[in-house]
Amino acid sequence: MSEPRQPTPQDGPPAQVPLEGLPPPTVPQSAPPVEPFPWRRLDPRMLLVHPVLELVKFFPFLVGIFVLGRSGEDNWWQFIGVGIPIALGVMRFLTTTYRVTQTQVELQRGLIGKKVVTARLDRVRAVELTSSPIHRLLGLAKIEIGTASGGKQDDDKFALDSLPMAEAREMRVALLHRTEAPASFQLVVGPPHSDDVSNGPSRADVVLVRLDPRWVRFAPLTSSGNVIAAGLLALFGQFADRANLDIVTEKQAEGLLTGISVVLVVVLVPLSFIILGAVFAILGYLISNWGFTLSRDARGLVFQVRRGLLTTTETSLERERVRGLEVGEQLGLRLAGAGRLSAVVTGISKDERSSTQLVPPAPIEVVAHVGAELLEDASPMRLTLQQHGPAARRRRYTRALLGASVVPVLALVLSLTTPLPWWAVLPALSTLPIGLALAADRYRRLGHGLTEGYLVVRSGTLRGRRDVLQRSGVIGWNVQQSWFQRRAGLVTLVATTAAGQQAYAAIDIPEGMAVALADAAVPGLLTPFLS
Amino acid sequence: MTDQAPEPAAANPALREPAHQVSSKAPVVWAAGAAVRSLVVLVVLVLASVFDWFPVPLWAWPLYAVLAIAYVVWMPKVRYRIHRWESTDTAVYTQTGWLSRERRIAPMSRVQTVDFEQSVIARFLGLASVTVTTASAAGPLKITMIDKPVADRLVDDLTRRTEAEAGDAT
Repeated sequence: MSEPRQPTPQDGPPAQVPLEGLPPPTVPQSAPPVEPFPWRRLDPRMLLVHPVLELVKFFPFLVGIFVLGRSGEDNWWQFIGVGIPIALGVMRFLTTTYRVTQTQVELQRGLIGKKVVTARLDRVRAVELTSSPIHRLLGLAKIEIGTASGGKQDDDKFALDSLPMAEAREMRVALLHRTEAPASFQLVVGPPHSDDVSNGPSRADVVLVRLDPRWVRFAPLTSSGNVIAAGLLALFGQFADRANLDIVTEKQAEGLLTGISVVLVVVLVPLSFIILGAVFAILGYLISNWGFTLSRDARGLVFQVRRGLLTTTETSLERERVRGLEVGEQLGLRLAGAGRLSAVVTGISKDERSSTQLVPPAPIEVVAHVGAELLEDASPMRLTLQQHGPAARRRRYTRALLGASVVPVLALVLSLTTPLPWWAVLPALSTLPIGLALAADRYRRLGHGLTEGYLVVRSGTLRGRRDVLQRSGVIGWNVQQSWFQRRAGLVTLVATTAAGQQAYAAIDIPEGMAVALADAAVPGLLTPFLS
Repeated sequence: MTDQAPEPAAANPALREPAHQVSSKAPVVWAAGAAVRSLVVLVVLVLASVFDWFPVPLWAWPLYAVLAIAYVVWMPKVRYRIHRWESTDTAVYTQTGWLSRERRIAPMSRVQTVDFEQSVIARFLGLASVTVTTASAAGPLKITMIDKPVADRLVDDLTRRTEAEAGDAT
């Protein structure tokens, strides 16, 4: 951890390194005669990380080689199979260099086809440090940098795998606290901040919220556990099938079917599925959120989320880049008085959504508190929302009833055309009250509001959500109207933004109300088009 | 709730349509496209009934005729009425669709790119399209089927106006 970094030979004279323990020189090097920003290499210990990862990837291939190789005479080529991943790792180490200059961070890759990825420092939106268990063992971290390009060019994603933990943290400071760092910031390595991996955020940070183990009770209420359980069951089914694991033969099956009552199966299967789902949800919650800490730096400019049981991640978000918040209020969570919170951040593409999570499923008061802290304004989280009126309510009911009537109608058709008894239609009718209840709640949830700085929209029951979007972050409006909406005099007003999901919608809002809302939220934009 | 004093009309403001229509050649192009698509369906239906791929009931033919005629004759008319655009000093405004309708408004200060596009057919007809993008992936404004000189002028206009704006438009 303490071994000094070695600048690459072609770098010219090494840059000035400030004295240990002292702040770096504050006098900027005016017109430096030599290259002041040396190219740096990844940590040599990454050589251990990559072969291990590559070996895992190559594992089936390697097994093949050795199994086949045993039978043959010449087995020298077995070693090529082992050598390739190691060679790839060495190649990557030798060909990857990076540097941070005053204005940008540059990453150079490739042996023959050299490729330089450049990101301007003032476009850096977020920095994420990730340490897999192997990384943690070696005291390393992978650093990923989110820039303003919005992840449109995925191949130019900026990632350094890996740096020593302390250096990665320093680099993060250099990238995000630019105003704090002296103009001629140099990456100082080693002693000054020899935090080890288990250390939390540095002393100056203010911890806003930490994981409360009791929050685990909310995990089964999210859908993730069921998804995992379903996936595993499917996988097991396939595996058993593939392996010809005929646990029960046909004759046994017949015996079982007559022995066990059908009702028992109908009860047991879903029950075991639910239990399995809950277990996996809890495990998943703990694995990804263990040690969750949300903190803020002393000046309130950068927020940092740490979490992870096996692979730890540290995500830093600049407050300035946060355009708003998404409060997840899925039905299950809402009934338990819980919610989850993520940030709407520019420069993070939709598929990196996990890195914007601020609070895992937690009591809604915690979520509201953190939201208020982040926005420096409590009103958007509390605001009583304006409802969308009778036409929107009618539309909720027609849509819910149309959906809910599919099952009874199907049952009716079946009972008329097949020997299915007529009373089988009765249980199918139960979808109707469910539909009605959903419609009522969906209408209650539908709403919008405006505070001094934020636009708030809320919708949905099963996947309910409340989106808070900075009014100055709205960079356009889409007013959508389907044929049915036009007949009802409703529109879907979509605020477009450069952050998060890129679009946040107020659904089924009366046309006049939509125009008034858009006009009020972004004054002046609509003025030339109003009549 | 606004920062500005509400205007008298703001009691019940309505969004008017954008000022300009697209090129008068547009309906012809849309009709031609619709005709080609209808024809493909017709060929499939005919082949299906000749080679017995799937049963084509008798009532399918008049239904097809009605739908195809509506699609080829009525759709371009409606679309021509709906497709409109406008560009002011401060914003770009478009309206598109035929069964459903979508209006998009983007402030000039948030415009990131202005793309001019002309397909082979469009070049032959002297048409062009202009796409205005903002930093949001959800917000490109497409002004299709406008006359080439109009498109040229629009691009010049937009480029000049957006150049005047500073900042990274996010």
